[in-house]
Amino acid sequence: MKDLLSVVKSNRAVAENIYMITLALPESAGALHGGQFVNLATGDNSLLLRRPLGVCIAEGNELSLCYQVKGKGTKKLTEAKAGDELKVLLPLGNYFDLSEYKNIAVVGGGVGVFPLIAAIRENKDKNFYSYIGFRNKSAVCLLNELEASRSLKVTTDDGSYGDKGNAVQSFLADAEKLNIDAIISCGPPVMLKALKSGLASLGIKKPCFVSLEERMGCGMGACLVCVCKTSDGKNARVCKDGPVFEINSVEL
Amino acid sequence: MADLQVNICGVKFKNPVIAASGTYGFGREYNELYDISQIGGISTKGMTLEPRLGNPVPRIAEGTSVILNAVGLQNPGAEHFIKYDLPFLREKGLVIIANVAGKTLEDYGEICKKLDGLVDMVELNISCPNVRAGGMAFGIKPQSILEVTRVAKGGLKRTPLIVKLSPNVESIAVNAQSAEQGGADCVSLVNTFTGMVIDIEKRRPVIANNTGGVSGAGIKPIAVKMVYEAAHAVKIPVIGMGGIMTGEDALEFMMAGARAVQVGTANFANPNAMPEIIAQMNNWLDSRKIKSINEIIDTVIMN
Ligand SMILES: Cc1cc2nc3c(=O)[nH]c(=O)nc-3n(C[C@H](O)[C@H](O)[C@H](O)COP(=O)(O)OP(=O)(O)OC[C@H]3O[C@@H](n4cnc5c(N)ncnc54)[C@H](O)[C@@H]3O)c2cc1C
Ligand SMILES: Cc1cc2nc3c(=O)[nH]c(=O)nc-3n(C[C@H](O)[C@H](O)[C@H](O)COP(=O)(O)O)c2cc1C
Ligand code: FES
Repeated sequence: MKDLLSVVKSNRAVAENIYMITLALPESAGALHGGQFVNLATGDNSLLLRRPLGVCIAEGNELSLCYQVKGKGTKKLTEAKAGDELKVLLPLGNYFDLSEYKNIAVVGGGVGVFPLIAAIRENKDKNFYSYIGFRNKSAVCLLNELEASRSLKVTTDDGSYGDKGNAVQSFLADAEKLNIDAIISCGPPVMLKALKSGLASLGIKKPCFVSLEERMGCGMGACLVCVCKTSDGKNARVCKDGPVFEINSVEL
Repeated sequence: MADLQVNICGVKFKNPVIAASGTYGFGREYNELYDISQIGGISTKGMTLEPRLGNPVPRIAEGTSVILNAVGLQNPGAEHFIKYDLPFLREKGLVIIANVAGKTLEDYGEICKKLDGLVDMVELNISCPNVRAGGMAFGIKPQSILEVTRVAKGGLKRTPLIVKLSPNVESIAVNAQSAEQGGADCVSLVNTFTGMVIDIEKRRPVIANNTGGVSGAGIKPIAVKMVYEAAHAVKIPVIGMGGIMTGEDALEFMMAGARAVQVGTANFANPNAMPEIIAQMNNWLDSRKIKSINEIIDTVIMN
């Protein structure tokens, strides 16, 4: 884990309210895997908390993150220009460990697609069957990255691009005929809940790994701010024990 | 290199910069970023006799130059600390301060007894605003501060006692004196101020607990004043904290009368904050040819 002063190479909109920021790191921070995240300073010193963002594209000492503009911090981030410097703490958390699997379903919604893209990129020898949902046509982005999948189904909530519906529905419709060893997923809590109950009602027992989000303080496991409940009634730290968990090991 | 060593209640610190309770865990994670043996000491996450799960999430929110938290004393229990974390910290050679809390007066006595002689200092958390029973309930009224200090002190034969004061009170000077009367060897302040942040779209507080403890850069001027008042009301040493982000901030607290400082929220904004603060303090002293940090303690000249 390192806290590096990165230099912004580019920062541009890739869809409505979604930006991709590319950072040049002064030195290697080691391998960065899909599911891992970084804690990025916003550039506004009056915001004391860093923003957790998932690793999306890591190439050499360059790292691209994609973020949706939501509140003060991400709004400030959109102002970052090439040449600006931002502190970044990385790598943080665990990742989608796919070493034991060959055929993998990918279920992603909204900004949840970004960490999944990193997982697809670093496992070029595997077969991915991707089901990706966006709000509407103007939110659709990075499809070129997802095209490495064996199959790709895109849905939008309003049907303005791809099929009408959401990623979980379109995955569950295919689930029984897919020959998969594992599922990876990331998206809003309602989506992950629907996935969990859908898998249960279809009796699908394949391992399913989901990446969770929680508000964070330190981002590295020290402050106990970011916990989720595990199925055995304990607390797990999303930042350190996660953010990737087996879907049945946590309460959603 | 200026001499940064300080001595508080006979405990030697290599420098006066201590990790504030709750922001630094038991040191293991920050040790993955830098060797934590550089820092003066660590005040552990607040511990209780039994393990606790703490509050529901979200536990944190942000304001301008401040944060709010309501973790609610999630901790693995004192036993677990003694077995698992204490040996790790001992190897690191920094001052180990056990931050402790309880539901009842007896709890405070018992946990102090358990830790007596095992850690370098015990810091009594009677000022946590985020738990219903105990916590701040003991830390508001002078009489109850005196009582809980007395009970805690009764459990400590070998280890000096720090009483951590809440800023959510009528008179910090009176409360510091109550701790001193109860037998405290040292007081530390400030813990967090109670506050609330509302999400105007949802019309709900951001934190699940509704209210949380306010900390970070924005509280510093209030904290400096309170540290000054406490330090001039008691004879025992004072440890200051609240919004320290830089070495210059730390020096302000020491000039106000603190013998050492704690750094909390800054660790989130800048994970390398503590080593940087130590270097900045040293540079400030060197550039002014001041040989020892002890020369600046309590040197503020009031107008
Ligand atoms: C492990 C992890 C990976 C993430 N990866 C991505 C990603 O790749 N792309 C992306 O667009 N978003 C991602 N998020 C969500 C992203 O962190 C939040 O949308 C962002 O922090 C909001 O900041 P803000 O300044 O816009 O909002 P504000 O409301 O100003 O934020 C206030 C505080 O709340 C926190 N916060 C608010 N919403 C969230 C949230 N949903 N999750 C966690 N913290 C939140 C902020 O970090 C900040 O500390 C991820 C979250 C986590 C935990
Ligand atoms: C996330 C978090 C958890 C905390 N937990 C504790 C605790 O367990 N016990 C305690 O005495 N103080 C706790 N505190 C208070 C800090 O130790 C410190 O008194 C306060 O944050 C002010 O200092 P700062 O502005 O440098 O953070 C906590 C603070 C934060 C931000
Ligand atoms: S954010 Fe501090 S423990 Fe997860």
